[in-house]
Amino acid sequence: MGLEYVKISPGFEKYMPRDYVDLVKFGQFGKEIDVMQLGQFKELVEEHPMCAGCYMAYFIRVFYAALPKPEDTIVLGTAGCARLALSQAAVPFIYGNYGDTNAVASGLKRALSIRFPDKDKDVVVIAGDGGLMDIGFGMTMHSWFRREKFTTIMVDNEVYGNTGGQESGMSPKGIQLKMAPKGKQFDKINAVELAQVAGCVYVARISPTNPKRIAKVIRRAILAARKFGPTFIHAYTSCNIEYSIPTREVLADARAREKKDFKFYEWMTDEVKEYLEEIERKEKEKAKQEVKS
Amino acid sequence: MYFVAEVNEKECAKYNCKQCVLFCPEPNCLNYKQSDHTAWVWADRCKGCEICVYVCSDLLKRHCIEMVMVKTGD
Ligand SMILES: Cc1ncc(C[n+]2csc(CCOP(=O)(O)OP(=O)(O)O)c2C)c(N)n1
Ligand code: SF4
Ligand code: SF4
Ligand code: SF4
Ligand SMILES: [Mg+2]
Repeated sequence: MGLEYVKISPGFEKYMPRDYVDLVKFGQFGKEIDVMQLGQFKELVEEHPMCAGCYMAYFIRVFYAALPKPEDTIVLGTAGCARLALSQAAVPFIYGNYGDTNAVASGLKRALSIRFPDKDKDVVVIAGDGGLMDIGFGMTMHSWFRREKFTTIMVDNEVYGNTGGQESGMSPKGIQLKMAPKGKQFDKINAVELAQVAGCVYVARISPTNPKRIAKVIRRAILAARKFGPTFIHAYTSCNIEYSIPTREVLADARAREKKDFKFYEWMTDEVKEYLEEIERKEKEKAKQEVKS
Repeated sequence: MYFVAEVNEKECAKYNCKQCVLFCPEPNCLNYKQSDHTAWVWADRCKGCEICVYVCSDLLKRHCIEMVMVKTGD
């Protein structure tokens, strides 16, 4: 990890795959990309087998563009749809056993801080609603109780998408799914409130309707985790297959849900707020200087 | 045979817009040429979801993207 790690050794350029050469020449390594530049640089994530129109795939696309330091980041995933794309990115990816992501991330983050005491190494878990709030619930909660310094992102499609449509704790009450024919009997878990109570220092809930805002939230969550403790993002990322959303309507659906139960929500401790405001103020100043010069 | 998106670059260039590029789920699929102010589709990467058509036609009423049929190997 680190910039040296991603560079191509002299003389080897012509043997490297074109996509990798493009990544080094026109990619994000060593730069801070503004997410609004999407479509004008080589993205970290490659082609992957997630379904057409999948907004979990979209969220992951924006996630990679938003990374503050991709060359010093490790992503942790698990069984579920997200790993189909997470495993196709030029950022080290670890596959934690289903349910174990937050335990693996805890150990990894601690090891990295011992091995690289004066460097920021970011660890980010991205897993599904089933992986984090059902089967991995204990691991998720305990990583938060222990105040582990990494970011957890739940890509919530409100179903076990990868295994054919079982209900999860995050499915809305009453919803009928292929493998929940009677309709779900219980309420959707309030993950954001749980995260706050369990010790997260930064918490956000977001529907993917605004790439700039997604990127801001991801950046904030990662920066806050470096210094203060666990951070959590609850992202609505629809499964158009299990919820039978025509793909053309996927963004319309995200916009509709944002008006109802996925209203944008952001909470952080006072010290995180102060810290982030200071960083963002400096960034704005730097950007102003650059425009002037 | 399958559907992919195709940008009418001449029409798109009138708007200096880029919105569809920001909402396509696929990486480096809808791209943007700054010099010509136009979006363009890397057809091999397009999965035909039409989210870009929703953005350009339904939301922005600019109607610059069409779905076209291609054959494998085209
Ligand atoms: C320990 C264990 N239990 C069960 C499974 C089977 N399994 C694979 S993916 C999955 C559900 C995925 O649902 P979710 O975490 O919500 O991710 P999604 O596919 O919806 O993104 C299950 C139960 C497994 N791989 N490992
Ligand atoms: S099954 Fe659903 S969540 Fe999984 S890739 Fe397909 S659309 Fe996305
Ligand atoms: S949304 Fe339409 S007008 Fe805007 S960049 Fe895309 S194709 Fe061009
Ligand atoms: S149809 Fe879907 S995958 Fe193809 S360019 Fe449009 S948004 Fe991207
Ligand atoms: Mg799920």
